[in-house]
Amino acid sequence: CSRLHTKPSISPTLLLANMYQRPDMITPGVDPQGQPLDPTKIQQHFEDFYEDLFEELNKYGEIESLNICDNLADHMVGNVYVQFREEEHAAEAVRNLSGRFYAGRPIIVDFSPVTDFREATCR
Amino acid sequence: PSHSKSKRASGFDMAPPTSNLMSSAPGQGFQDQLPGMPQPMSALSQSMFTGGSAQLGSL
Repeated sequence: CSRLHTKPSISPTLLLANMYQRPDMITPGVDPQGQPLDPTKIQQHFEDFYEDLFEELNKYGEIESLNICDNLADHMVGNVYVQFREEEHAAEAVRNLSGRFYAGRPIIVDFSPVTDFREATCR
Repeated sequence: PSHSKSKRASGFDMAPPTSNLMSSAPGQGFQDQLPGMPQPMSALSQSMFTGGSAQLGSL
């Protein structure tokens, strides 16, 4: 995959790039200070993030699908994909989220061409 | 003992420390995060601080 994906001018689906950072992102199972991390803590961290995202995004419209990548490879790492029922709600979310921060990092939000996550693979 | 349901603080609108915006603690910066991809990352951080977003490359 060239990673040069088409970017629609409007879409019900948004991509929030690199938004989720695993607590063990440097070394799997280990925190940045080198201390072993309890797997349940890692899961809780992810679920807290998911809850934050859902509660915020749900303000802008009904959510069809919310996918968060918690992989550790460099491709798509931490990407959040949210599909709204309505394009206008996605556009409203873009307007509201642009320029804001999450956990000390800027939110990078744009429309995504994905409309069916079962078929969402690069070709 | 039931787990407290008191609301955690959301991470939304948690701004970075001003001294920490570009350089950063380990694991915080884009450069630190993806050392193998300096080009798209620096393009990202430039455009995100000038407000542009239309030309960001997807990852």
